[in-house]
Amino acid sequence: MNMQEDLKKYSNFLQKIRTFFNDKNVLEVQTPALLNAPATDVYIDSLRVDLNQEIDLEKTQYLHTSPELEMKKLLANGSGDIYQICSVFRDNEQGSQNTNEFTMLEYYRLNFDIHQLMNDIAQLLKTLGVDSQVTKLSYAQAFFEYGDIDILNTDFATLKVIAKAHGLSTDFEWIEDLQILLFTHLIEPKLQALSLCFIYDYPVMQSALARVEGQVAHRFELYMNGIEIANGYDELRHADEYKAIFEQETAKRTTLKKYTPDLNKDYLEAIQLSLPSCAGVAIGMGRLFSQID
Amino acid sequence: MANYSTSQFKNGLKLMLDGNPCSIINNEIRKPGKGQASNKVKLKDLITGKTLEKTFKSGESVEGADVMELDMQYLYNDGSEWSFMDPDTFEQYMINDSSMDDVRGYLVEQDMCVVTLWNDNPISVTPPNHVILEVVDTDPGLKGDTAGTGGKPATMNTGVVVQVPLFISIGEKVKVDTRTNEYAGRS
Repeated sequence: MNMQEDLKKYSNFLQKIRTFFNDKNVLEVQTPALLNAPATDVYIDSLRVDLNQEIDLEKTQYLHTSPELEMKKLLANGSGDIYQICSVFRDNEQGSQNTNEFTMLEYYRLNFDIHQLMNDIAQLLKTLGVDSQVTKLSYAQAFFEYGDIDILNTDFATLKVIAKAHGLSTDFEWIEDLQILLFTHLIEPKLQALSLCFIYDYPVMQSALARVEGQVAHRFELYMNGIEIANGYDELRHADEYKAIFEQETAKRTTLKKYTPDLNKDYLEAIQLSLPSCAGVAIGMGRLFSQID
Repeated sequence: MANYSTSQFKNGLKLMLDGNPCSIINNEIRKPGKGQASNKVKLKDLITGKTLEKTFKSGESVEGADVMELDMQYLYNDGSEWSFMDPDTFEQYMINDSSMDDVRGYLVEQDMCVVTLWNDNPISVTPPNHVILEVVDTDPGLKGDTAGTGGKPATMNTGVVVQVPLFISIGEKVKVDTRTNEYAGRS
């Protein structure tokens, strides 16, 4: 295929996505990419930008790692359903599937739970020509089926024994990091046989910004042929919940000797208001595009 | 010996694992969206020759192995030990006969080969990719078959058995690829 055909194909891909959202009255938005505070996620690092050095108006800002918080400000202010396609930037990325800049599709649907959002994504994929059978497995089912591990009820020490038996590192501070390593190396390879697979309901320790119910957080990830494509949440709604998560994350970053964001800068402003009940997802456009055909 | 962090991992790097020196043959990094990066590493145990797989968390460090690969000349073997010489220092190294199983059939006196030293002790020998061996036993050649369409086993002066074309006869010298144990032409 020549370059022009590639460009046309990608343009057509963008067009179909925009038509899909337009037909559902989901509004396209743009939010700032240059922010005052870096991301709080423990393992996602913001790129720092030192501005205006030659005109004596020096300040430090950060490129967004995802448009999530800025879009949540819009949601909290009554935007209704919204989506955005934008470049995002992450420092310290490595591996063949990762780059420091990539294009993300982020979207939020009001009054959706994660199952409705997963169905919505399956519909979107259908309009993009992906018509394969959809497999849905809870995180716990996936571990039972492919790893013979009761992941929700296995303690840190036992997981370390299992990891060791599989030649995996056991040098971890927190159980969730080991759960993620086990998932990456024991479960993910098995997902390669499935063209379209949603994994949902993650252990509470991996809740991130998703709503928790009992032993699980209502989060999901989409895998296409074993490649991680999307990450979605039943979103937390209240300022105090966000504050608690940001504090947990920055505390972990401190332990790991990574930069720690000043929570007073952008975050508290972002979460002053309550979010409407909604579910949101981030989709890696490059990875998705490479899975289509 | 220095420690190596996962960010320094690359093919050929020698690490100590479970008490044995190992060499990295493949290093794959995986960074989940929300999680920490990890390195899935395939290594060859330089003592047992076995391949193993280990996964490290990104940033973890592992003790390096003091392994050196030196070009040496194979001198002789006395049945129990094989003798090699570093042509720069004239220093001689002996390797036990039992460690020579995989390569004994390709070593010809005076040939240069690569000797792997761990803590200054030789642990393995890699013969040159091609060696010249002499056929000491094979079925009589078929007259007129010069195209080499078929093949037959031939025993070499070093004891190794190589499939050779039908026209090769006893006493001839042939070139053998030591990586595949294949005939690579008449010498």
